[in-house]
Amino acid sequence: MNIEQNLQKAEQILAPWNKETTHPELNRLDASLAAENLRPAVTALHAARWGYLSAITGLDLGAESGQMEALYHFCSGPAITTLRVRLPRTGEATLPTIEDIIPPATFFERELHEMLGFKIAGAKSNDRLFISDDWPEDVYPLREDFNIEQATPVEGRHADETPEVGMVGENKFVIPIGPQHPALKEPGHFEFTVDGEVVTGARMRLGYAHRGIEKAAESRNWIQNLYLFERICGICSHTHAYAYSLGVEKLAQVEVPARAQAIRELVAGLERIHSHLLWLGVTAHEAGFDTLFMYSWRDRETVMNLLEQLTGNRVNYSANLLGGVKADVGPEQAKAIKEGLNFLETRIRHYLEVVTTDTMFLNRTRGIGTISYEEAEEFGLLGPTARASGLLRDVRVEAPYGAYHQFPISGVTETNGDLEARCVVRLKELLVSCFALRTILDNLPEGPLTVRMPRKVPAGETVSRVEAPRGELFYYIKSNGGEHPARVHIRTPSLCNWVSVLEKAVGRQLADVPMLIAGMDPCFSCNDRLVTTVGRTGERQTWSWKQLRQHGIEYYKR
Amino acid sequence: MRIGTMFKDILKSFFTKSSTQLYPVERVAPPERYRGILSYNPSVCTGCTLCVKDCPSDAIELVILDRAAKQYVMKYRMDRCIYCGQCVVNCKPKGIGMSNQEWEHAALDQNFMVYYGKEQDIAKYLEDSAKSPIAETES
Repeated sequence: MNIEQNLQKAEQILAPWNKETTHPELNRLDASLAAENLRPAVTALHAARWGYLSAITGLDLGAESGQMEALYHFCSGPAITTLRVRLPRTGEATLPTIEDIIPPATFFERELHEMLGFKIAGAKSNDRLFISDDWPEDVYPLREDFNIEQATPVEGRHADETPEVGMVGENKFVIPIGPQHPALKEPGHFEFTVDGEVVTGARMRLGYAHRGIEKAAESRNWIQNLYLFERICGICSHTHAYAYSLGVEKLAQVEVPARAQAIRELVAGLERIHSHLLWLGVTAHEAGFDTLFMYSWRDRETVMNLLEQLTGNRVNYSANLLGGVKADVGPEQAKAIKEGLNFLETRIRHYLEVVTTDTMFLNRTRGIGTISYEEAEEFGLLGPTARASGLLRDVRVEAPYGAYHQFPISGVTETNGDLEARCVVRLKELLVSCFALRTILDNLPEGPLTVRMPRKVPAGETVSRVEAPRGELFYYIKSNGGEHPARVHIRTPSLCNWVSVLEKAVGRQLADVPMLIAGMDPCFSCNDRLVTTVGRTGERQTWSWKQLRQHGIEYYKR
Repeated sequence: MRIGTMFKDILKSFFTKSSTQLYPVERVAPPERYRGILSYNPSVCTGCTLCVKDCPSDAIELVILDRAAKQYVMKYRMDRCIYCGQCVVNCKPKGIGMSNQEWEHAALDQNFMVYYGKEQDIAKYLEDSAKSPIAETES
């Protein structure tokens, strides 16, 4: 079925509730709905298995129009159907929950509620997920009229309140993990209810590393934002910049030269190698297999050095520019990359053998956290976590962008869906990446590296999807025709994959939990990008170096 | 299924050099494209301030004393700089560069402000700003 037919099919499904159909860009269909028709429309799309819910974007249209809008993006291959629901800004802007139809929507809905103040009718839980506990009620940071003065922390509503921990009933014990915990290196808080050693319930709380990037983006110009988004995540920094520049270039109707596109894919491929090797090390460490951890990280240095040689930095490569790339690949770099790839490929084959044959490691991975194809689809999993269950969710294959038309990638899937399959999928993907990178190096198109990019981007909105190492990265970019974006909404792959941990931990031994968390390759800094806790004017961050130092000295005197 | 799948790697490592670089005793030359400290050449600068406009972290500021006589002073805050290299790309006359040699920024004091420009211009600028109490409040 081609894209046109697919979109027509979506239009037919939505026809009973659709008020107005628009085509804001290629391969996209927008349907305006009334709030009460949202649930039947989503149920119909879901029942017809039309794509999956990729993200929900909330927009504040400003005091002038007096409205807010929620955009439900469904993706099916390259085709995107967006359900638009408009509600008045003042009073109760109530949306019906769709979390019972599509479970991962619960995170998106929570985000809508916490950031923009949509009320979600029928939501199971109203606990805060992203925003800090001492944030005042009824203050929504992504509203247009939000003022940092409003964000004074509320006394008494504090994150330090003792959660329900310890013995909480007969045969029920709550074990808190995080935000700071030796088994979990990043800030996330989980409460696992256990009966003996078996987990009977799981809760989580995110948002300990919120930096307010989406809000900050609105006050920076298009170019400055490129570097801001690159810093969302240290591991997949290139894919963030890639997705953002693809979106902005689409809005500005700028065609990026073929050579620049190929180099972008090259950097993305190297980044995938470094990300997956890092993940392999972390997982091995969680499983107590530190030898694998040490050696995989030693080999990861090879790819880090290649990236440094190519772009000038090891972590935030800044290889992208709006309208092209900075770094060219000369014969010297091409040779170094090829040599590095040869070495890495033999090592990756070796690790593939290790993770599929080592008895100790298999005891921790085989048959653990098994997710079936149906479950993967239901939970809305993305990236390698989904592909390990046989569900081919890979934007590079489903909806090729940039240079992936010219240098296609073959999708890797496994069928078992357990932790072992997730290891195998990731390592096999690296072999595919190595192959693709060699093809690119051998057939690098000639031509310029950049094209001219206007400083002001024409008004419009666009969706840009890129396959990050962890799964589909979703950017929604809206421009008012000025030097700054009007709204940038980012949905990172980790957010969708959390369900796999929460659902699969129940019934397992507590000792498997760290492996389950590591198995989806969570990226907390990607998750926690949304909100400003206390801005520059707030008390906590205006501490000078001197005061901080003094505070530290006083603190330790006691 | 077998055990000790990585024994070979371990045995091999007994007879090879450690992978860890013993910095600062052992120094590896940074790659050619490494982005280190900023350099600025006032004699080619046109004063267009595109570098300042697009700096993502407000790390640079250009003071134009006299455009005709090419008297520019660039205030560069090393601590704010994120070494993205956007200013280098923006500079059409190639007046801004990034050194791949100077990259060890650790210091005991917190004086990260660097002034670039011709010596007499910097002296003049500092003298002027010392007179007016508003300027130079930030450190």
